[in-house]
Amino acid sequence: MSAPLLEVRGVTRRYRMPREALLRSPPVLTAVNDVSFVLERGQTLGVVGESGSGKSTLARMIMAFEAPDEGAVLFEGQDINRLGAAALRQARQRFQMVFQDPFGSLDPRRTVAWSIAEPLRVMRAEGIDRRIAEALDQVGLRARDGEKYPHEFSGGQRQRIAIARAIVTRPALLVADEAVSALDVSVQAQILNLLMDLQEDLGLAMVFISHDLAVVACICDQMLVMRHGDCVEFGDTAGIVARPRHDYTRSLLVASGI
Amino acid sequence: MMELDRVSVAFGEALALREASLRIEAGARLGIVGESGCGKSMLGLCLMGMVPDAAVVSGAIRLNGRDLAGASEAVWRRHRARDVAMIFQEPMAALNPLSRIGDTVMEPLLVHEGLSRAEARDRAIALFEEVGIPEPAARLRQYPHEISGGQRQRVLIALALTCNPGLLVADEPTTALDANVALRIIELLVRLSETRNMALVFISHDLAAVARATQTIAVMYGGDVVERGPTAQVLSAPRHPYTIGLLGARPGLGDRGRGADGRRRRLVTIPGNVPPLFDLPAGCRFSGRCSQEIAQCAGTRPVAHVLDGGQEASCHLLAPAAPGRAGAVT
Repeated sequence: MSAPLLEVRGVTRRYRMPREALLRSPPVLTAVNDVSFVLERGQTLGVVGESGSGKSTLARMIMAFEAPDEGAVLFEGQDINRLGAAALRQARQRFQMVFQDPFGSLDPRRTVAWSIAEPLRVMRAEGIDRRIAEALDQVGLRARDGEKYPHEFSGGQRQRIAIARAIVTRPALLVADEAVSALDVSVQAQILNLLMDLQEDLGLAMVFISHDLAVVACICDQMLVMRHGDCVEFGDTAGIVARPRHDYTRSLLVASGI
Repeated sequence: MMELDRVSVAFGEALALREASLRIEAGARLGIVGESGCGKSMLGLCLMGMVPDAAVVSGAIRLNGRDLAGASEAVWRRHRARDVAMIFQEPMAALNPLSRIGDTVMEPLLVHEGLSRAEARDRAIALFEEVGIPEPAARLRQYPHEISGGQRQRVLIALALTCNPGLLVADEPTTALDANVALRIIELLVRLSETRNMALVFISHDLAAVARATQTIAVMYGGDVVERGPTAQVLSAPRHPYTIGLLGARPGLGDRGRGADGRRRRLVTIPGNVPPLFDLPAGCRFSGRCSQEIAQCAGTRPVAHVLDGGQEASCHLLAPAAPGRAGAVT
């Protein structure tokens, strides 16, 4: 039996806070506390929680931007924190990330095509131009949009560009951290539909992080609710929405309903 | 209490507001919704007399019957805080990081109300209690960075209340807050409006927040008020294609799950993007993105059609003789 696409096994991440007093040891903040889950190929997992609940720290550990203090992140059975630099670079083709603010992640002085090709250059891939055109097409942009610069696009289109850059390496997993939070409602719906298309057409698995439970519920098979670093509820989205077991989940549901 | 009568705000050729009219009754709660760039914040600034100098304002802005549209800054300053006060999205930006919270809140009491320091301090504590800030006396000595975002927004609300305004304009007051905290701020604003008989204009892109906070709603697009009416009615039975699209685009908990083909259900979308102000169509601002568009939409501005129950929508499809009346649009 093959390993699941992603297995997060009891990860904990602590940060030392600034010292409050000279002779006292600095306080420790547990940003993520013993969180575990398994994500199969083509599945979507939503991570919901308020700011400071640890959801972005979890994302950074899944992406191997930082290592857990305890526990392990296994991607296709491999502990990504034990990979050497070159092996990690190779493995990164298979898991990519989309952030909240595409303006912050696109170089304003470079064409969109250049930015999209960045991960391909790192990989020393072949047929770069063809793959840029393919990625632009997949996110609903035209091939000649690649010659333009980020400021020539609207917020929604910039997020499409960021998604194109994430899928150009043909990843198996996409981690989206508040990827639609900065967008207007009508544009947000376009991007959510795009993510659903990509997920179904490319068989992409997704970890979708958001403070907005309604957004998570509309796009995710499973849901993980985080609070103060703990996973307070995990399970099937429909089940959690219909019968939340934790008071905190219930309060998020109340707050998100129209 | 306050009224905007066909107010336009022009930046050169571009209209940030186009003949927008609104009535705000004493003690009533009105919501302004729309996406970024639709003119909702500009409308809020009109109510405060804080339209940027570069803009040309026309129409009438009446406060208790008196037109202040062309009034000087000195005149407006007499009304701000006393008659109309405002809170914003980012409470940290509105507080002086170098001042203790108490000094910030007591300043208008000392300056406008002419209270002594001891009196001002007592009033500040009473206001903090009113807006639900625990341990108000201790809070006065703290700096803005020492308290949470929700508490900061409460401080801003207390600050806005110092001179007992008849109208509070809240521009995206809950957008920067976590969902649970936002809910409590909304409850507070509603309670304050009721206990003080204070009118509330609640500006937000968040339909769920506006649904909770307000009694009537105005939906804006491209500088126009396109639909208005009782909040519950407009949100449950929208008639303007933009309002219908906006509600459909919002992921509700009911949208979850998959269709018969095994694919996940897609959200309703409005094609394209909100166009920039200088690039709006001359007629209906929504033409070009509207799925129900007919010949006159791009060139002729639709008038507001009065519907049942006090609802109004500005759409050519609602004209009695229009082909394919928008009532059928869902």
